[in-house]
Amino acid sequence: MIGLSPPRRAAVQRMAVPFLVLLSATLVILGKADQLMFESLRVSVTDTASPALDVLSRPLAAFGHLADRTREFLSVYQDNRRLVAENERLLNWQQAALKLASENAQLRELLKLTPEPAITFITARVIANSGGAYVRSLMVHAGRENGVARGQAAVTGEGLVGRVSEVGSRAARIILVTDLNSRVPVVVQGSQQRALLTGDNSERPCLNYLDAGAEIKIGDRIVTSGQGGVFPPGLPVGVVASLDGEAPRVEPYVELSQVEYLRIVDYGLADGLPKPIPIVSRSGRRAEPLAGAQLGRR
Amino acid sequence: MVFKVDTTPALQRVENPVARLLPIATTLFATVISIQPAHIPGYAALTPAFTLMAVYHWTIYRPDLLPPSVLFLVGVTQDLLAGVPPGVTALVLLLARAAVLPHRRHFVDRLFPFVWTGFTMLTIGAMLFLWTLHCLLDGVLVDFRGTVFRAVLTISMFPIASFLLGRTQRTFMGAG
Repeated sequence: MIGLSPPRRAAVQRMAVPFLVLLSATLVILGKADQLMFESLRVSVTDTASPALDVLSRPLAAFGHLADRTREFLSVYQDNRRLVAENERLLNWQQAALKLASENAQLRELLKLTPEPAITFITARVIANSGGAYVRSLMVHAGRENGVARGQAAVTGEGLVGRVSEVGSRAARIILVTDLNSRVPVVVQGSQQRALLTGDNSERPCLNYLDAGAEIKIGDRIVTSGQGGVFPPGLPVGVVASLDGEAPRVEPYVELSQVEYLRIVDYGLADGLPKPIPIVSRSGRRAEPLAGAQLGRR
Repeated sequence: MVFKVDTTPALQRVENPVARLLPIATTLFATVISIQPAHIPGYAALTPAFTLMAVYHWTIYRPDLLPPSVLFLVGVTQDLLAGVPPGVTALVLLLARAAVLPHRRHFVDRLFPFVWTGFTMLTIGAMLFLWTLHCLLDGVLVDFRGTVFRAVLTISMFPIASFLLGRTQRTFMGAG
C-alpha cells in the first residue's frame, strides 16, 4: 500500500476487514466441505512450528513436574503404606502370572499356534493440544522421519489414547478417543458385547450400537474389539462410568489432559484405516467410497 | 489494585521497531500459549481464549499496530496448529476487532472494571458465536457447558493478561 494515494489507502483499509471476514468464512466452509483440502497446509504448518512448540512446552512441563514432586512429597507416607499393601497383592499375582505363562507356552506348543507379529513402537512427547471445547487432539513431536504413519494407535501404559490422524515429517496429530469424530469398535469384557465407542468432545465417550438386551453395569472393562482392522483386539480403553442418558458412558483409563509422553504403536494394521475420500476426484468424477470409511472421517 | 493503562486516545507514532512489533509478537505468543499442553485435568477443553485477550487489548490501545491482515494470519495459524477447521479463529478475531474498534475511545483511559466489562461482553459474544458455528459445522448440538466454563475462565484470567500486556506496553512504548 506504500504507493497508494491517501484516499485509496483509506478505501483499501476500509475494505480489508469485510474481505478478510469473507475469506475466513470461505475457508471455514471449504474446510468443512473437503477436509483434505487443507491437510497438506496443516501438516506443513505443524511441521514448521513443531521445534518451537517443543521448546516452548518444556518450561510448562517442568513446572508441572515440580507441582507433581511437591504433591508426591506431601503424600509419601500414605503412598508408602499403599505400595506395601499393593506389593503384597502383586506378588501373589506374579506367581499366578508365572504359572499361567508357563501353561500358556505349553498349550501354544501343543497347538502349534502361529506367534503374533512383533509390534514396534516409538515414544513421542506431546507438544500441543487443540486448546478448545470443540476438538480433542494432541500434537506429538514425532513424524514420518521417526516411522509414524496414519492410523497407528497411540497408547500409554494405562490404555488407548487415540489414533494418528495426520502425519508430517517431524510432527503428527493424534485424534483422541473423546473427539467428536472418533469411532472405536470395542467389546465389553466378560459379556463380550460389541459396541462402538463414540466420542462427543466430552470427557466420557458413549457406547453406541449395543445389543438391545445387553447387560452393562458400571465398572465393566471396555477393550478394543479389533473390528475394522485399525486397532488390535484387547487394548484397554476404559470402564463404564455411567448408565444415565441414552447410552452408557465410558471413563477412559488414560487421563487425556495429562498425557506428556505417549507410545505410537505399529501393530502392522495401519493400512486398515481407509484413506480419506476427496469429495471430487482429480479427474472431476466422484470418488468411490472405501469399505469402513466411517472409521476415518478425519 | 487498580489496573489502568495510561494511554491517550490519539495514537502517537511509535518509532522503535521492537515496540512496533510488540502487538503482533504478544498476540502470537498468546496463540502459542493457547495450544500448550498444561497437564492439568480437563484443561485442554477449557483453555482460556488468550488470543482474544491480546486482540481486545491491542484493538483498544494500538489498533494501528495489529492490522486485520495479521489477525487473519494469526487466526488461521492457530486453527491449523490446533486442528480445528481453518478460518474459525480468524473469523472470531476479525469480528472481535470490528466490534471493539468503533468503541475503543470509550475504553482508553478508563478504570479497569470498565475495560473488563467490555471484555466480558466481547467474550460472551465470541463464545456464543463459536458454539453456534461448531454446532452448524458438526451438525449436532454441542454440549454448552464446556463453552460456559471456557467463557468464565477466559473472563477470570483477563485481569492478569491485561496487567501483563499493559506493563509490557508501558515498558516498550512508554505511556503513549
